Amino acid sequence: MSAAPESKKMITDVFVEGARKGWNIGIGSIIPNIMMAFIIIKVLSMTGFLGILSTVFGPVMALFGVPGEGAAVLMAAVMSMGGAVGVTVGLLSEGVLQARDLAILAPAIYLMGSTIQYAGRILGVVGTDGRHYPIMFGICILNALMAMFVMNILV
Amino acid sequence: MKTDDQEKVSIGAYIALAFAVVFFSGLLKSNEWYGIFDFTTLNGSFGNLLKDTAGGTTYFRGAGGNGARDGFMFALSLVPTCMFALGMIAVLEHFGALKAARKLLTPILRPIMGIPGTTGLAIIGSLQSTDVGAGLTKSLVDEGELNETEKNIFTAFQFSGGALIVNFFGSGAILFTLTDSTGAAVPGSIGLALSVMFVFKIVGANIMRFYLKTIDKKATNKEMTTKTAEAN
Repeated sequence: MSAAPESKKMITDVFVEGARKGWNIGIGSIIPNIMMAFIIIKVLSMTGFLGILSTVFGPVMALFGVPGEGAAVLMAAVMSMGGAVGVTVGLLSEGVLQARDLAILAPAIYLMGSTIQYAGRILGVVGTDGRHYPIMFGICILNALMAMFVMNILV
Repeated sequence: MKTDDQEKVSIGAYIALAFAVVFFSGLLKSNEWYGIFDFTTLNGSFGNLLKDTAGGTTYFRGAGGNGARDGFMFALSLVPTCMFALGMIAVLEHFGALKAARKLLTPILRPIMGIPGTTGLAIIGSLQSTDVGAGLTKSLVDEGELNETEKNIFTAFQFSGGALIVNFFGSGAILFTLTDSTGAAVPGSIGLALSVMFVFKIVGANIMRFYLKTIDKKATNKEMTTKTAEAN
C-alpha cells in the first residue's frame, strides 16, 4: 500500500480527463466540421460540381486508386484536417467514396493537412525564411501523394 | 518504484508503449477474449433503431437523411470513438508510453534526419502539439543548439503532419471504424496509417535536407546570418 501516495490521480480519472478532451474535440471540431462538409457536399452535388471534379481529377487520382472526387478531400485538407475528414465521411455517405478509398486518403489528409494554418503556427513561430515556404508546402503535398501511392499498394 | 527522474524510463513505460502499439494496430481485432486488447473491438457498435412503424431497423444515424442535419447525426455518432481514443492515449501517456517512445526513437531519428540530440523533447512534443514543437524549436535556435540548416530540416519534419498523434486520434482514427455503402469495412488499421505517416514525415525532412544540401547550397551560404524572426 506504499505506492499510492506517489501518484494521487486514479487511473480512471486519467481516462475520464482524456475522454473529456475527446468530447471537447467532438463538439468543438468534429461536429461543426462534418456538418459543414455535409452542407458543402450537398451544394457541390446539387450544382453538379462534384461530377466536374470527378471528370477533371479522375485520371490523376486513378494513379492512387481513388476516384476523382477524392481531390475535394485533398483541397479541404490544406485548410483544415478536420474539414477534410468531414468531406471524406460526407463523400462516403453519398456513396462516392468506398471503404478502401478512405484508407488511402487518411494519411494524405494529415501529411498535407492544415498547412495554411500551420504556416503561421509553425513556420512563423520558428522563423522560417520566407523563400523556404514554397518548398515546405511542396514537401507536404509530395508526402501526401507518396503516402497515397504506398497505401494503394498496402491495402 | 516509479522514477521521478525524467531521464529514466521504467519497464512499465515500455510495456505501456508495447500495449499502445498492439492496441491500435488492429492485430487482436476479434470477438474472442483477446479482443479486449483491441481498440476497434472495445469501441464496439451502436445498437440499431427502429426504422418505422412497419418494422425493420436502421443505424443510430438513421437512414435517408441529408444535408446539415444528417451531417450532425453522423458526426455525433463519431464522438464516442474520439473520446475513447483520447481517454486511452491519456492513460498510456500516464504510464510513460511517450517517454519510452522518445527514449527508443531519438537515437534512431537523429541520424536519419541529421539533427542533433537536443531535439529529442521537441520531436515528441511536436507530435502532440504544433505550438509546443514550434516553441521548443525556436528556443533551441535562440540558444544556438540548432543551426539554420538543422532548423529547416526539423521544421519540415514538424510542418507535414503537424501534431500528428493528437490530430490523427482526434479525427482521422474514426475513418478506420467506418463502413461504406456496400457494408465493407475500411481496410488497413489505425496503426498502419500512423506508421505510414510517420515514415513520410521523416522522408519529408530528408527531402528538405537534400534540397538544402544541393539546390539551395549557394543561397544558404550567402545568407547564413539572415533571419526573418517575425515571418508570417
